Amino acid sequence: MTGDAAAGMNPGIGYTALALVSAATLLIGFYGLRISRTTSDFYVASRTVKPWWNASAIGGEYLSAASFLGVAGLIVASGVDALWFPIGYTAGYLMLLLFVAAPLRRSGAYTVPDFAHARLESLPVRRLTSLLVIAIGWLYIVPQLHGAALTMRITTGLPAEIGCLVVTGVVCLSVVTGGMRSITFVQAFQYWLKLVAIAVPVLFILFRLAGDGPPGADGAQLLAEALDAETHAPLYRNVSLSIALLCGTLGLPHVLVRFYTNPDGASARRTTLIVLGLLSLFYIFPITFGVLGRIYAPDLAGGAADATVLLLPGRVFDGASGDLLAALVTAGAFAAFLSTSSGLAVSLAGVISQEFFRGSVRGFRLSAVLAAVVPLVIALLTESSALAGSIGTVFAFTASTLCPLLVLGIWWRRLTAHGAGAGMLTGALLCGGAMLASAVLPRIGADTPAWIEQPAAWTVPAAFAVTVLVSRLTAGSAPGGAAKFLARLHTPEPLGPCPAGSRFRGR
Amino acid sequence: MTGDPLHSQAPPRVRVTAPGTGAAPFPVSRELDEQSEVGELIIGSLIRSQLRLALVVGGGFLLILLSVPVLLAFLPVIAELTVFGVPAPWILLGVGVYPLVIGCGLLYVLSAQRNETRYRDLVDGR
Repeated sequence: MTGDAAAGMNPGIGYTALALVSAATLLIGFYGLRISRTTSDFYVASRTVKPWWNASAIGGEYLSAASFLGVAGLIVASGVDALWFPIGYTAGYLMLLLFVAAPLRRSGAYTVPDFAHARLESLPVRRLTSLLVIAIGWLYIVPQLHGAALTMRITTGLPAEIGCLVVTGVVCLSVVTGGMRSITFVQAFQYWLKLVAIAVPVLFILFRLAGDGPPGADGAQLLAEALDAETHAPLYRNVSLSIALLCGTLGLPHVLVRFYTNPDGASARRTTLIVLGLLSLFYIFPITFGVLGRIYAPDLAGGAADATVLLLPGRVFDGASGDLLAALVTAGAFAAFLSTSSGLAVSLAGVISQEFFRGSVRGFRLSAVLAAVVPLVIALLTESSALAGSIGTVFAFTASTLCPLLVLGIWWRRLTAHGAGAGMLTGALLCGGAMLASAVLPRIGADTPAWIEQPAAWTVPAAFAVTVLVSRLTAGSAPGGAAKFLARLHTPEPLGPCPAGSRFRGR
Repeated sequence: MTGDPLHSQAPPRVRVTAPGTGAAPFPVSRELDEQSEVGELIIGSLIRSQLRLALVVGGGFLLILLSVPVLLAFLPVIAELTVFGVPAPWILLGVGVYPLVIGCGLLYVLSAQRNETRYRDLVDGR
């Protein structure tokens, strides 16, 4: 059915858009190569990135296939309930701002495992955290590649696998050559590209809607039917999803690595605030796209819902204007896959190379390839499901594992290595089990209950509870430096320039 | 520089000052560095006030957010209200939540900054 829908789409559009975005990404990557030379450059852009740049980069990295295609698709498919996804994606940053942003920056660690190691002084916990970060990163890249496959099939008619291969190739090239400094520029550029790519078609379609009125005989009737306010999902599902998205954002490895590039805690907070604004601005458009999709193309709800953003411009406008708008959204979609995948590849490569290659630049490059190729294999072996939904599952997993470690590690002095380890294992087993069950149950013909489909509402509290309980039981093994470490996390940096290493302003 | 007449003749000027009258004999920053009880108390109170702030802002946000589906579930009348033909639930969830998120974020950043300024004033003793 997607083949029929795509029949009117000119393959040239897809090729042009893909070539332009890839070229721009690689060009900025190479430009960055000229200024990134040292190991520290490669990892965290030497911590000299300004809040606006950083916020644009975070936005660019975060707005993935799930946001660009998935939100509108889900609105077309399931109506008002889908609005919880963009709310969760945005409000997750509020939670990050409240509980993590400034202290994490002050911890001075490069990655989440670094944080776990420094805070808990335990190598096994560090290893466990690394494994979880790698698993989360891989799980998160897979839907990006599925999105790329979908876009490739619809816009060019080529086999879906080509889309995965192209995205993986461009990601590897740009990460291997430029490291994070160039990635920061690439990501910042891609936020604005994505915003323009989704805003312009929406505005054009809105003008058409305002000019000609809704299609069909009775406009008001159509609008009322399209914007059915009935919630179909039970309250539990929406609450559990919100918990997953709110707590999951805190632990996303590719988001956290961005915070180390802020010069200090206060600017980490400012950056996050700007991110909230940028995300709120962006999500207006996929939401509007979804609403317009319900008006103009309700038939897509059948199975091609994720392609709404790509197909709608061509349905509303004929000829060259339709082609141009379609090219624009295609470019934005590719920007979405590329930026999220390369951001994830960078953060994964950081973790893998520190864990297995002792953090050399060569090891980083090798790890970047590893970080991108494994999800490629998984993506080629698995079927794509609704993009926004599969990303939601990854958020639930992150919320059940890394969120308790970070929140309790930052705010609770009595956290012990045993407690953190037990909590992460509990969360990983419960949530991983639920994910497996919801993948297996439909195949054996059984219904998937809501509590298995959206496990965050019970796995996140369980992980927190186990962490606290085991920490209480092993209170004797609390790390000796905990009080000092916590003090460092929450002490504001001195104002103005100060010699490195001095914690307080000289008098 | 040896040929400079000013510097070769006069000894360099030295500023002579009295020891600060208001200065604490034992600076707070030293207390903090040495992990003394006073230092721990000050840091502890900063951490507690930041945590309280985060919990209040976060809790308030969640309460308002949760009230939307609860209201819609118990007062179905709201779902029938429309603005320019768009039903109220779409407006509330699609647009209304975002200014709230930004507002909460701004409130938190300003208040957290204020907590830190207060702490700095305490440590620097001014």
